Amino acid sequence: MTSYVDRQEKAKFGLDRDAEMRLKNNRLGMTIFQASWIMVFFALIVVNWQLRFSYAQWPPAGVTPFDPLLPSAATLALLLSALLARGGWRQLRRGQLGVFLNSWRLALALGLVFMALIMVEFAAVSDAALATQYGVTMRLMTGFHVAHALAILAVMLRVYRNAARGSYSGDPHDSWPVEGTVKLWYFVTVAWLLFYVVLYWIR
Amino acid sequence: MENNRSNIPSISPAAVVVTAIFLLVSVIGINWFTTFVPQILPEQASAESKSVDELFYILVIIGGVVFFLIQGMLLVSVIFFRARDDDRSDGPTYHGNPLLELIWTIIPSLVVVYLAVISFNVWNQNSEPKAAVNMIDGAETVIRVTGARYAWTHNYETSRLNPEGAPIVINSGDKLHTYIGQNVDLELRTQDVIHSYWVPAMRVKQDLLPGDPEAGGRPTEIRFTPVRVDGVEYPAEYPIVCAELCGDGHGRMRGTVVVYEDEAQFMAEFYEPAIHAILNPPADPVLRGEIVIQEYICNSCHTLDSLGWSSRTGPSMNGIADRAGERVAGQSAEEYIAISVWNAQAFVVPGYNEQMAVFGPDQTDANKMSAEQLYAIVAYLCTQGEQSDCDNENNTVAIPEAIKTAFGLEVDITFGQGDDEAESATSETDDEAGESEQDNAETSDASQ
Amino acid sequence: MATIAVPLEAQAEQHEAEAVRRPALSEYLRWSVDHKIIGVQYGVASFLFFLVGGAMAMGIRLELWTPTLDLMVSGSAYNSLFTMHGTIMIFLFIIPMWAAFGNFVVPLQLGAKDMAFPWLNAFAFWLIPPAAIVILLGYFVTPAEAGWTSYPPLSTLFSGDGQTLWALGAHLLGISSIMGSINFIVTILNMRPPQMTVWRMPLLCWAVLATSIIAVMATPFLAGALTLLLLDRVAGTTFFDAAGGGDVLLWQNIFWFYSHPAVYIMVLPGMGVLSEVLSIHCRKPVFGYRMVGLSSMGIAFVGFTVWAHHMFTSLQPELRIPFMITTMIIAVPTGIKMFSWLGTIWGGKMRFTSALLFALGFMSMFVIGGITGVMLAALPFDIHVHDTYFVVSHFHFVLFGGSVFAIYAALYHWFPKVTGRMMNERLGRIHFAFTYFGFLFTFFPMHIVGMLGMPRRVAVYDPNFTEWNQLISFAAFVLGFSTFIVVYNVIHSYFHGPVAGANPWRALTLEWATTSPPPVTNFADDPIPFEDPYGYGTEASVAYLEAVEAAFDGGRPGS
Repeated sequence: MTSYVDRQEKAKFGLDRDAEMRLKNNRLGMTIFQASWIMVFFALIVVNWQLRFSYAQWPPAGVTPFDPLLPSAATLALLLSALLARGGWRQLRRGQLGVFLNSWRLALALGLVFMALIMVEFAAVSDAALATQYGVTMRLMTGFHVAHALAILAVMLRVYRNAARGSYSGDPHDSWPVEGTVKLWYFVTVAWLLFYVVLYWIR
Repeated sequence: MENNRSNIPSISPAAVVVTAIFLLVSVIGINWFTTFVPQILPEQASAESKSVDELFYILVIIGGVVFFLIQGMLLVSVIFFRARDDDRSDGPTYHGNPLLELIWTIIPSLVVVYLAVISFNVWNQNSEPKAAVNMIDGAETVIRVTGARYAWTHNYETSRLNPEGAPIVINSGDKLHTYIGQNVDLELRTQDVIHSYWVPAMRVKQDLLPGDPEAGGRPTEIRFTPVRVDGVEYPAEYPIVCAELCGDGHGRMRGTVVVYEDEAQFMAEFYEPAIHAILNPPADPVLRGEIVIQEYICNSCHTLDSLGWSSRTGPSMNGIADRAGERVAGQSAEEYIAISVWNAQAFVVPGYNEQMAVFGPDQTDANKMSAEQLYAIVAYLCTQGEQSDCDNENNTVAIPEAIKTAFGLEVDITFGQGDDEAESATSETDDEAGESEQDNAETSDASQ
Repeated sequence: MATIAVPLEAQAEQHEAEAVRRPALSEYLRWSVDHKIIGVQYGVASFLFFLVGGAMAMGIRLELWTPTLDLMVSGSAYNSLFTMHGTIMIFLFIIPMWAAFGNFVVPLQLGAKDMAFPWLNAFAFWLIPPAAIVILLGYFVTPAEAGWTSYPPLSTLFSGDGQTLWALGAHLLGISSIMGSINFIVTILNMRPPQMTVWRMPLLCWAVLATSIIAVMATPFLAGALTLLLLDRVAGTTFFDAAGGGDVLLWQNIFWFYSHPAVYIMVLPGMGVLSEVLSIHCRKPVFGYRMVGLSSMGIAFVGFTVWAHHMFTSLQPELRIPFMITTMIIAVPTGIKMFSWLGTIWGGKMRFTSALLFALGFMSMFVIGGITGVMLAALPFDIHVHDTYFVVSHFHFVLFGGSVFAIYAALYHWFPKVTGRMMNERLGRIHFAFTYFGFLFTFFPMHIVGMLGMPRRVAVYDPNFTEWNQLISFAAFVLGFSTFIVVYNVIHSYFHGPVAGANPWRALTLEWATTSPPPVTNFADDPIPFEDPYGYGTEASVAYLEAVEAAFDGGRPGS
């Protein structure tokens, strides 16, 4: 009988090959999902770019450009949050559940800070900007992103509560939910960085 | 995975001979096929059509070689490599031939490069801007085309001036008039959705793109130069077709290119009569209305037997004067018709939807209509019926009154009172385009 | 060289005994995570949509019998008819039909027990019925009538609520397609047996892999475009309304960035099927296996760079040339496939099964679509025939002459594996003859009316084209009739067809190394693939086939 996975690996983890296969599939599936879904964000960037050419200047005449201060703070919070989530996940793999819970709490809090700041930005778009595509595409992009961030924050919260109940060990097979959530949070971070640059720095 | 050459009865001299025969057959076949080319393309009525057809000819020859080669090899395979019923063996284990694969990668690549180069050349040649476009009477003329659901309108901004000093604009409706050798260069604008201006005989096509109306729309350009077609009597007519789905009446959205033999014929049969008609509109508002109504795109939606219109998107206008008086309580027939023309949404005939555009002096391009033009149109429509509800005896009084009640606008009924001579200068332009409308009205007021 | 038994009908009839239990019909109506059940669910559902879309095509041809509007109450009714025809055929027939064959065959070819994500697989399928219902609900309001391409502003400012439903339905189908494709990629990359390197993978898997890569990278653009369309229609934004700073070409760019690759989503699996069917039924290895596999990837890659050739009449003139060049380049990998297939059948031992007939029909018809594709790439000529019946003809040669012929080939080829019964070969040949000639005479004349000046999507046309259109309509009715033959054949064969046995075509790929239909777990043990999926003619292959036969059909007399 031949096996899908290297017998060495199997001996090392002492797992049946289905679980091994599942983890391998989950990881590849997550990578492909990320590569695929980031294209929607690229599509929205294309929208922003093409609509710029409907106007003689960008931002259009009479519209004050967005102040990058608040979004920059939000970006910083998000980056820190992603780093903390990653750090927590590494600690969990070493069996440090307590450290994991602490970092994860902080990551969640910073994620909420990010959300709050972006929502403030979203609400603060001036009427003059909203009369042009400058404001509308900004709302489209941040709104679309916030919807994703919100969903994944909810998943993070759930993972946190499961972890607090001790559902995950350091073994990558049974703590795939943690790994997957961290990767989704990376995705949110990368997607935001793209939008951040396009919205606030490319004029 | 053995790659045993003795296993290959297939790539044999016989195969080479068969391929050669098929190449020969394909050359003969293509020659035969190209005799049909004139029958599968419209007449070559423009300079562009010649080079495009030449390109097509090359594409057909190359495509034909590929077609006959592949179908031929398929046919040979089907005939010669058929397993007999009692033959249960496998074919030769032959996995490929790198040289052959290289050949059929490189040759198509070269062909593709060749096609790209010649297509590029034809494109360059055809899209090069020409000097001296739309030459009429020794001057360049702006010809604007408006696409609106579901009709074309052509406007010539001529170099002639009306008595008030504004350029005369000829509206030739869905007809484009041109002559052999004129470098036509049209400015295309749409009023609503995307349309596509296609003249099959000229091999040209260009989409009309909606743009910001305040910024003057998003004009696109189309260029062609009509040439002589042998055996055709001039003026010759070629269809204009809308090629981009624009809604209910897309298939009906057609027009005509009228090509005259030379500029002299163009001037004599189209240009001068058009200018003359503009400078000397008929005195009778009914007669004038019959002309004016055809400059608008009413025919794209309405039926009116007297003018040969048959579209069914909007309500029929046959016998409209018989019904107009009873539609809305307290509204005279004249008022009802006038409102229906300018502001059709005010009363939508049951069973139809609110598709019709708004017309008026404030509208742009094909929707611009002066009070005087409305007066003429109402006068004409008031005659459409057996026992008209309108007061046709007194239309010079009743209609201006109705327009005044409905829109608060004064109509200058002396509009068009000029006699047949162009010098009697109280006449107006009765085309819908140009800013001259209101000025004209004022001027004629002053000249009273 | 050892002799090989050929699956003759007479021979198959000897296999009276039913080999393996078939799933009860009720299992197909329920939620199931078995890839074989899901495959059949996809297949039957999409075939039903094919019948609906086909009936609409008959309606279109009936209307076009005369140059005036007579069958339809209005131009809008006609517009909604071809809009629905296009939408159904693309989103509800061809794309899910390939998911059907992919689902059923790919895990079997890989020797896997199921797809990588069985639950996701079922979910992707069950998005399709609600999406179809949403789209067809448009008929209760004002159905979508802006064409399947839905160009704004026609689809935003000038269309009814059916257009909103259309966009919602298409959204769901896009998401279903993304989920299905992620599943295929992971399955193909991760779940191969250790002996099967990518260079020993069956070519259908190569094609499905390339298709899925296109789908995951391109379909999100459709999601983006549809989101904007919905916002414009429902939330009052003006992304496509020039009066509000929008741009109508924005839609065309994003939409075609998905929809041109979507053409390859529809054709590449068919090319994979062709490689399988030609090799197996001609008893000869695929000629230039690597180039055939790589050309799938080449087409997938170049396919992303050509979208703007759909905008040759609206794009700024300077931008048109680069897209003309990339479009022409795509002819090269397509040509490689075509010549490799010719190399595959050349010198083979062809068995004229229905599957092979349809595969040969594909080659014979697809080449016309390829040639007209190059013609359309040539910008000056395209300007003349853009948006005419020439284009209609071209893409039907690609999507009917290509995809549908390949779907029929795949149906005749894998039906025995799916149901355990052989299809009726005589009816198959009759079906082929009607389809081939009906198709040819329906769509070839369309080139000519297009060049002569008939635009597409019109119910009212120049009366000069009446005779051409009547010829086309007549042939279209013949083509429509041909569908009944295959429907009858499928139903009849399902109940009364001769028992197929494990490997009726004596094929070397793994899906034939199990019973027909395969058991729930597909294989009793991890199967070991034959060293070369198309290594026909070697003694080792004969020995392998005999072993398979002995293992599953018990060495019955006549085998």
